[in-house]
Amino acid sequence: MRAEELKGHLDALLLAALEDGPRHGYAVMEALRQSTGGRLDLPTGTIYPALHRLETAGLIKGSWSVVAGRRRRQYQLTPAGAGALSGKRADWRDFAAMMTAALEGGPCPDPA
Amino acid sequence: MPGPRLIGDYLAQLSAELPARIVDELADGLDETYRCYLGQGLDQDAAARAAVAEFGEPRVVAAAFTGASSGRRTARRLLAAGPVVGLCWAIALITARAWQWPVPLMAPVVLGVALITVIGLLAAAALGRQYRLVCRAAAAACAGTAILDMTVASTVLAIAPALMWPVAVAVALSAGRSGFAVRSFSRALLG
Repeated sequence: MRAEELKGHLDALLLAALEDGPRHGYAVMEALRQSTGGRLDLPTGTIYPALHRLETAGLIKGSWSVVAGRRRRQYQLTPAGAGALSGKRADWRDFAAMMTAALEGGPCPDPA
Repeated sequence: MPGPRLIGDYLAQLSAELPARIVDELADGLDETYRCYLGQGLDQDAAARAAVAEFGEPRVVAAAFTGASSGRRTARRLLAAGPVVGLCWAIALITARAWQWPVPLMAPVVLGVALITVIGLLAAAALGRQYRLVCRAAAAACAGTAILDMTVASTVLAIAPALMWPVAVAVALSAGRSGFAVRSFSRALLG
């Protein structure tokens, strides 16, 4: 899956990758690779600006630490980010149910 | 960061575009990627090539940071608000017959030049491709917007014979916009 196909969904993926606890940028990318079975094909370097954007929006919080003599920035979900992730999950379920019904036939489930 | 020259060159290209704190973070991620490939059995050069390829071209990474920068977003918000505030001021000044006010002849000219300069800075921040240029242009535009708004609002309040409601609305909008510009200044400058 390429970057342009992810437009609009990258934020949800990044928030989900941080749901289990704090991670640094490369670990976020690794978590995304694992959770998508390696089908995510994004330049790793472009994950970082998206993390910065989420941090500016107050959805994640970054902090510096020193690991093996190198400065490392870790990110964790804020309460606002956890709320945003729940909302994005619900939106996605509705959207996926609607698309599945439209493309494969069958009734569209009522929104919860 | 230890490692082959290819990684050093890659980080040097990023350093030319991005601030040190961002390059530090990318250097850590790149080093992790490099070590991951070394762990998979690649030699140093092959691991460095694979790590750099996985990260993406420096210009792509820098462009992504530029697009996500606070300066870019601030500039776009100020540009979007511009026509609304401008229209309110036009209505206010026409309603108040501002052409009859005792204003020095050069004042409208100075105001026009300042306004065009601020719009130019906002356009540079909203459309520019270089991270540092976008941040500096956005910060300068924030300062310019705040100064312009407060100067116009205080001048109009001082010389308008009576406070009509269109003028009050325009002054309130300018005060709100200048507050936003002041709050956004440091964030825009830092990216």
